[in-house]
Amino acid sequence: MKKGRPASFITLGLLACVSSAQPLAPSAEMEGIVHGVMPESHFEVLNNNCLKCHDSVEEEGGVNLEDLSFTMDSIAAAETWQRVLNAVNSGEMPPKDEDQLSAADKTNFLGDLSRQLVIARDALSDTRGVITMRRLNRREYENTIESLLGVKIDASDLPDDANPGGFDTNGSALFFSSDQFEQYLALGRHALDLATSTAKQPPLKKTRFEAEEIVAKEIHRFTARLPKAFNPSAIRDQFVSPKGLEMDYEVIGHGLKAENYRWLNHPEFFLHPDNATGAPLFNYFYEFGLPNITLPARSEGQKFIFRTRIALLHDEVPEHRRYIEFGAAPSGIKKGEMNVAGFRKITGTMDQPEIIEFEFIPSDDSAQIVRIRERHINSLNAAKQFFKAHSEKTDRGPPATLWVDWVEWEGPFATSGPVSSNPNLFVPQTAGQTKTQHHRAILEHFATRAFRTKAPSAAFIDRLMALYEEDVARGVSPHEALQEQLAVVLASPGFLYLNEPTFGDEHRGLTDPELAVRLSYFLWSAPPDEELERIAARGKLSAPTTLARQTRRLLNDPRADAFIHGFTHQWLHMERLDFFQFNYFKYPRFDDSVKEASRREIYETVKDTILAGRPIGELLKSDHVLINNLLAGYYGIADVDGEHFRRVPVPEHLPRGGLLGTAAVMAMGSDGERSSPVERGAWILRTLLNDAPPPAPANVPQLSRLADEVLSARDLQKLHQEEPQCAQCHRTIDPLGFGLENFNAVGQWRDEEVFEKIIDDLSTGKPRQLKTPVSIPIDPAGTLPDGTPFGDWWEFRDRMAEHEADIARGFTESLIEYALGRPFGFVDYNLADEIMAQAAADDYAMDAFILGVVQSPRFKLK
Amino acid sequence: MSPLSRRSFLGSATALIALPTLESIGFARLAKAAEVVKAPKRMVFLSMGWGVTKETWFPDRQQVGANYELPQNLQPLAKYKDDITIIQNLQNQFSTEAHWGSTFWLTGANRYGVPGKSFHNTISADQVAAEQFGRDTRFTSLQLTGRKADGHGPGASLAWNRQGKPMAGLDTPVAAYHRLFSDDKTPLAERQAQLKRRRSVLDGVIEDARSVQKGLTATDVDKLDEYFQSIREIEIRLSKEEEWLEVPKRFPQDPIKEPEASLQGYEEIKMMYDLMIAAMQVDATRVFSYRMPTDSLIQSLGATITSHNMSHYVQGDRQEVSENRDQTHAKLLASFIEKLKASKEIDGSSLYDNTAVTFGSNINSIHYLTNCPTLLTGGGAGVKHGRHLVMSDPKTPLCNLWLSLLNGSGVDVKSHGDSTGQIKELFV
Repeated sequence: MKKGRPASFITLGLLACVSSAQPLAPSAEMEGIVHGVMPESHFEVLNNNCLKCHDSVEEEGGVNLEDLSFTMDSIAAAETWQRVLNAVNSGEMPPKDEDQLSAADKTNFLGDLSRQLVIARDALSDTRGVITMRRLNRREYENTIESLLGVKIDASDLPDDANPGGFDTNGSALFFSSDQFEQYLALGRHALDLATSTAKQPPLKKTRFEAEEIVAKEIHRFTARLPKAFNPSAIRDQFVSPKGLEMDYEVIGHGLKAENYRWLNHPEFFLHPDNATGAPLFNYFYEFGLPNITLPARSEGQKFIFRTRIALLHDEVPEHRRYIEFGAAPSGIKKGEMNVAGFRKITGTMDQPEIIEFEFIPSDDSAQIVRIRERHINSLNAAKQFFKAHSEKTDRGPPATLWVDWVEWEGPFATSGPVSSNPNLFVPQTAGQTKTQHHRAILEHFATRAFRTKAPSAAFIDRLMALYEEDVARGVSPHEALQEQLAVVLASPGFLYLNEPTFGDEHRGLTDPELAVRLSYFLWSAPPDEELERIAARGKLSAPTTLARQTRRLLNDPRADAFIHGFTHQWLHMERLDFFQFNYFKYPRFDDSVKEASRREIYETVKDTILAGRPIGELLKSDHVLINNLLAGYYGIADVDGEHFRRVPVPEHLPRGGLLGTAAVMAMGSDGERSSPVERGAWILRTLLNDAPPPAPANVPQLSRLADEVLSARDLQKLHQEEPQCAQCHRTIDPLGFGLENFNAVGQWRDEEVFEKIIDDLSTGKPRQLKTPVSIPIDPAGTLPDGTPFGDWWEFRDRMAEHEADIARGFTESLIEYALGRPFGFVDYNLADEIMAQAAADDYAMDAFILGVVQSPRFKLK
Repeated sequence: MSPLSRRSFLGSATALIALPTLESIGFARLAKAAEVVKAPKRMVFLSMGWGVTKETWFPDRQQVGANYELPQNLQPLAKYKDDITIIQNLQNQFSTEAHWGSTFWLTGANRYGVPGKSFHNTISADQVAAEQFGRDTRFTSLQLTGRKADGHGPGASLAWNRQGKPMAGLDTPVAAYHRLFSDDKTPLAERQAQLKRRRSVLDGVIEDARSVQKGLTATDVDKLDEYFQSIREIEIRLSKEEEWLEVPKRFPQDPIKEPEASLQGYEEIKMMYDLMIAAMQVDATRVFSYRMPTDSLIQSLGATITSHNMSHYVQGDRQEVSENRDQTHAKLLASFIEKLKASKEIDGSSLYDNTAVTFGSNINSIHYLTNCPTLLTGGGAGVKHGRHLVMSDPKTPLCNLWLSLLNGSGVDVKSHGDSTGQIKELFV
């Protein structure tokens, strides 16, 4: 059932509408809007089970259902139906001692009611095409500052503007608070400071650490802490001293017993011929790798280049231990964790070590601590477990797999030229201009740019100049005083809001410069660049061919990543990927680097499909994947070198290709521990089939006897079918999820699921601990909502691939919502139909939808 | 410019700002508020977001009145059984979002109550109190919140302003500490100049807001009003700062140290409680709300699951995490009560005697939104404690409680949200 498709309009003679809320003034545009309508067939249920007490005479509990309209065209009617839903869902009604609904009646009644209520809520909250002026959301704010001033700032202290159930471009959901005003002032000041001051930067320098010297230092540190008593050590004679190390071997021997230093007790550490010039990289060494590197303060936004000469210690290193990762460890972060910024796969050998290089850009101006370590789970606990698992068997930690010669960093390098001399921002002084006149000119010019070519009012500039004079009179330098006023501009509504005044009209066509702003915020989440501005200023942008050309240009620009990431993240509900701490004991391979790569895979897949103009159906089924070396290793695909993402053909018989074969989608459809057919099924309905199930209802009795980890997905389903309150939705949701049961919680293929406890009798739900775990084969058969059966994942994907039009419709509606900055509403149905028709003629090429939205009359209308 | 004329100016800057009665302008008297002879009333609202473990948090419904057995998860409060009240059968009738534990907790609003909008909210009970209690203190109210809003739903804190818009909260103990106790060492004259300057900045942006406002549609004017409203709030704050300029921030008798930035979970909540006590001791503000973190709390207690998974507990590990969380909250609350009782007011009473504390959530447990868990303590509203109350109407509006507590604390309002009247049982 598609949301809002016209259903037959039903009026029942005895049911009069009892609307008490004020309906919106009728408008021609809204004629024929589809309200939620309870099918007439349920009148019998109401008559037999409710009206005995809740008729207009009895009105028990103050509830009169006899006069309730079956058409939910008022808030009051929807509210009463909501109460009916709540009462039946919770089992409160009908009362226990009265006649009950049959299970089938109840399931159908609840199913229709919850769906119709969603339609009713949508219709009643329909904005009627009104686009609310929007404040820049946090992403847009950061990008806009960067575009204006050339500096990247970290605005993560601002509210994240995530909009539950919608997009972060929806103006009506973007609020403003007094604290925010002060944050904008401070952030603006900071950004201006960064952009205009080059003198404060620390000098360029290059620093190299030799691994063997670090090791020597650490061993000295450790020997100093040992008690004087000692045991002669067996390793004394074999020990090859790292360069510059003079120590008491006997003390070492004693100290090795201390668990914290068991990492030292490795033959490759002491016996390796290369440890005079380098050192093995231990997992537990310096809490996860090389010592912390502290970068100079005031390096924010500047680039540092790191290099390390590194090799695999031997040929037998397993695939997943051939990586290093790097990132920042800011103060306050938990011990042993870091913000992973990237990884590199190591291919160098001891005969031929390689030099790898990466960049790091500090995101704030405090001294930055950078860590480099072997890639693994980002948690001290996990690392300890990993270590212990080995030390219990061998009395020492896991063997090292990598060898490091040296590490160096070089920087800071400027990422952009100083803006203070940029004539686009700071107009030069002209002959005869006093300093004050010049500053006024700069202010006017800056505000015009900041306000996206809308000139500021003279009164505003007057105020700022008065403030400027006051500051200078107080002894502030003219330069600083000017900067203060520029910061005020960056906290003004002209900058913070995308305003499109209509001067009395309900809707009006956008001017070309306004169209340029709408287009660039749609595709870049940033203001127009010079080219777009220039074309708009000449009044040429709205010409269809120009608009199409500019749309393509913007899409192909790297700045379009803001759209790809921002839109895709919300369209596909990818926030779930960050909901959980994945159980690292169960899934040690799904570490932060893999999780990030799995997220990127989705973005890169959408991006590639759009830019190459490929059919949207490839998101459902495809013969290639968009991956890098790390994911190739994770998926078991050979010969993919380098950490960039690229199109790779799927090897035969490998269950990948399309969103339904990606690690990210599977992980999102889990709870971090187990796969969840319910989450996966609901996600498929919502995003792929454009048939979102109603929200999880409140007050439905939970099947509390279901313990964790003891029931197969199929047994869970049986229980869901028991209760009509559950069955009404789960009969559609769960069978979709079964098709993906061959993927575990982190998207790895499995043929069976392992249980440590089991429920023998579903009616009691008592779990029994098993002596030895049992494996139950996965049964991946299920059905699509229309009843189409499938036997396994392959068939499931084939059947899903037949639903290209559904994902296309969902994509269209989401695009309209994201681009226009308001919920998809009734007034957009025709537009969505037209865009769909155009795209269909183009084989549903994914870029055709975007062009369709941009070319539509609505996109050019306030 | 004097505060009065500035405010008149602001009032004229936009006709859309509904300025409340000018009582709030009478700040002049309050810099001397230190001379009070009677201890002031205070209100504290504590929301945990996700609901409780219903099997072990709620007392037996058959045992009502004073002779009830304190359930397992409230055992840490045993010492204070006579100082708490547990009340059952309260709910917000319009709540349908099973994961929103705080959005409507203090407001009782109907999300869908306004045609053409998919989200609507109204003023929260704490802000109603702040309009009266906030006049005489340096800060009108204090909103505290965890960094993540897990289980709380949309909002920036528990507080929603008169316009039903979210109000920001301080999300770390360090931020709260600095707001409350960091004293500006700058000389007075310079601080006066800074205040003047900050006002001039507001003048500047108001000027731009006026030109932006021209030609906007009604919806957009409404949106821009949020901006005007924010500026107005800062105006009021500045006026207060001016009144309090010569009054140095006070430190409590047991000076409180600047909290460490790394506090998380249990230690973070404990510190927030301590900061509230300290703020009461120096009378920095009289209205507090705290949207407490859950993810970081349970993780600091050793859990490896998320609070969402915890909230959907079933027998076994998840229920243990949920119960441990409940018991930890009870323990933290017990220690809060202890400190409230130990802290003496100017008139010989204790902070406990004059403060009305509510602990709870809009979510009962799991996905249930009926019978919101509610625990009251403190003598501020005149509640007769030491009892377990089960309202006879299972759908008693939560707003009846807010109305009762507001009235009991001396805030003269006739109704709040969807209230139908006071809960008389609380006082007899």
